[in-house]
Amino acid sequence: MRTDKRRWEQTKNALLFMGPSLLIFSTVMVLPFLFGILLSFTDWNGLSATFSFIGFGNYSEVFHDKVFWSSFVLTLKYVLCTVTLTNIIAFSLAYLLTGNLRGRNFLKAGFFTPNLIGGIILGFVWQFVFSRVLTTMGKSLGWSLFATSWLSDPDKAFWAMVIVTVWQYSGYMMVIYIAGLMSIPKELIEAAEIEGASSFTRVRKIVLPFLVPSIIVCVFLTVQRGFMVYDINLALTSGGPFRSTALISMNVYQTAFLSQRYGPGQAEAFFLFLVVAAISLTQVYLGKKQEIEL
Amino acid sequence: MKRIGVLMLSLALVLSAGLAYADVHITLLNTKGEIQAQLEDAAKAFSAENPGITLDIQPTPTGSSPFQILSSVYASGNAPTLYMGDTNDMIQFADKFSDLKNEKWIKDSSDNFEQVTTASGSIVGFPFTVEGYGMIYNKAVLAKAGVDPSKIHTTKDLEAAFKKVQATGAGALVIAPMDWSLGAHFLGIAYSLTAKDQAGLNKLVADFKAGKVDVSKNKAFSGLLDTFDVMKKYNVRKADALAVTYDECPALIGPDKVGFYFQGNWTWPQISGFATDQKGFGFIPVPISNNPADFGNSGIPVGVTKYIALDKKQNSAAQQAAGKKFLEWLVYSKTGQDAVVNKCNIIPAFNNVALEPKDPLAISIRQYVAKKQTLFWINMPAPDHWSKVGASMQKYLVDKIDRAGLYAEIQDYWKNVK
Repeated sequence: MRTDKRRWEQTKNALLFMGPSLLIFSTVMVLPFLFGILLSFTDWNGLSATFSFIGFGNYSEVFHDKVFWSSFVLTLKYVLCTVTLTNIIAFSLAYLLTGNLRGRNFLKAGFFTPNLIGGIILGFVWQFVFSRVLTTMGKSLGWSLFATSWLSDPDKAFWAMVIVTVWQYSGYMMVIYIAGLMSIPKELIEAAEIEGASSFTRVRKIVLPFLVPSIIVCVFLTVQRGFMVYDINLALTSGGPFRSTALISMNVYQTAFLSQRYGPGQAEAFFLFLVVAAISLTQVYLGKKQEIEL
Repeated sequence: MKRIGVLMLSLALVLSAGLAYADVHITLLNTKGEIQAQLEDAAKAFSAENPGITLDIQPTPTGSSPFQILSSVYASGNAPTLYMGDTNDMIQFADKFSDLKNEKWIKDSSDNFEQVTTASGSIVGFPFTVEGYGMIYNKAVLAKAGVDPSKIHTTKDLEAAFKKVQATGAGALVIAPMDWSLGAHFLGIAYSLTAKDQAGLNKLVADFKAGKVDVSKNKAFSGLLDTFDVMKKYNVRKADALAVTYDECPALIGPDKVGFYFQGNWTWPQISGFATDQKGFGFIPVPISNNPADFGNSGIPVGVTKYIALDKKQNSAAQQAAGKKFLEWLVYSKTGQDAVVNKCNIIPAFNNVALEPKDPLAISIRQYVAKKQTLFWINMPAPDHWSKVGASMQKYLVDKIDRAGLYAEIQDYWKNVK
């Protein structure tokens, strides 16, 4: 009797605190997600009142779609480039800014600012930079690299997206790395210094192992954002020139809403979810093994 | 208990009285962002002349597809009374729209354009805007070069005109490289010349899907692309043809920097902002052969690009009646006509509207309509044609693929479209 009452008390408390957010989470995240999976097995066009189940038809269509795969491979390339570059730059900035640099607070704020600008605006600003500012500079200074707009060439347009993404996220990841660097015990580094460890050895043997939790978080965030990116893709290149830079999210959107093929669009989206989940979980799992307990 | 009963009764009375005198509230979902403010003014004028009806103009974000917007408003039960959309939207959502075939304005609509008729024979669209496109020319540049635009009937004539304009130091033309412009509009001319009307288009599309069309043997496509080759050669921005933005082109044709620009009358507000002469522009057809008498060398595509439909599923009878009243008001009242023609700068599809449009491109279109020299406006029944085939046209523009490659991509598109 007593334990029953206590259990009820506990459930009540749990419901009181978790209930509202649980309700919202399930109505706006879980249900639409499940409904989306359901729709990927139908021939619904996004509009009609009736639809029928067609099994794995949409999935087999997606797996045979060359455009989807080329877009997927491009996205992998994009994720690889942005994750590597963002994290290297973010770590370097964080390492420099935790040292004895003058004006480091100002610099921190400066590097963080791009992250506060929305991706759409950022895309339009950089579109102007790539197609007007750099081309004008290129012409007057005679630099052939900038003579034509980067956004009108498929390869250069890809790198333009990478540059803008790295520029946007480096500041954010830098903040996470700074927090990680601050928590490393000073005496360990000082002791290593006295023992005669070079600065490179200090970074490799002390700083990096201690920083593993931050690295896990940063890599996770950049991987996930890289796969999901849509705003920069839309505002900077909108998939152009000639649909050569349409990343996976844009491809999903276009299949569902432009081509009005809802089922295959949902199937693509669910496939994307599986890939991102698998990569992120593996990465977190492998990363956790590297962590050191103090 | 009794007191509560009285209270309830009086409350019910107050409520019902309130409802009886309440305004009929209707909404128009506007998918033409550039005239949002003008439409809001028109709605106010309409409410002032029709007490008891309030009309709200709902804006839609630019860039999102009307299809997506309409699917979500219907799914959420918030369907607007009136919805603005193109032919394909009308047909796809036809079962949700009222039949307008007994409306007064049907008789007065111009017979240059087909009505949106559904399989069951009902008419679901009120023709709201008429638009046209072709080769826009700048009168001052052409006069300086000694070119008479009314004498350009063939591809050779056009090339000669380009040469003469270039000799004066101005640029010959600028090509706007957007996928919708190249895929839907420019290539649309070839589809239009082959199909001639809606029934012809349906057959052409069916033939394409069945793989029965060899584009390379189609004279309209090859002739049009021959002209495109000439345009590519004289394009002022040929060195970096894909970097040209939609906003840049008006800044070239407006202030007499180029002689020609392929686009439609919707770009007039932008050109007007740069124009040295507010009257000095017009359209000529895009020639498709070297025989002036060939079909297509004397006409430009003109069509109804936005219709207004009336919802019958989620709006009350009173709201539907008020919606019909608004459509009638646009055609027959002085203020309505003034709002459409003078405020929104729209070319009306109705013969009874006598107001002359103010901008030179609209005037030019009205002349083609009056002479019956209009080509069928293509509304492609495949929703992503403009984007996918537009991308192929972009590749062709920068010589990423050759003519054979372009033909192959067009035929591939139709083979794979669902």
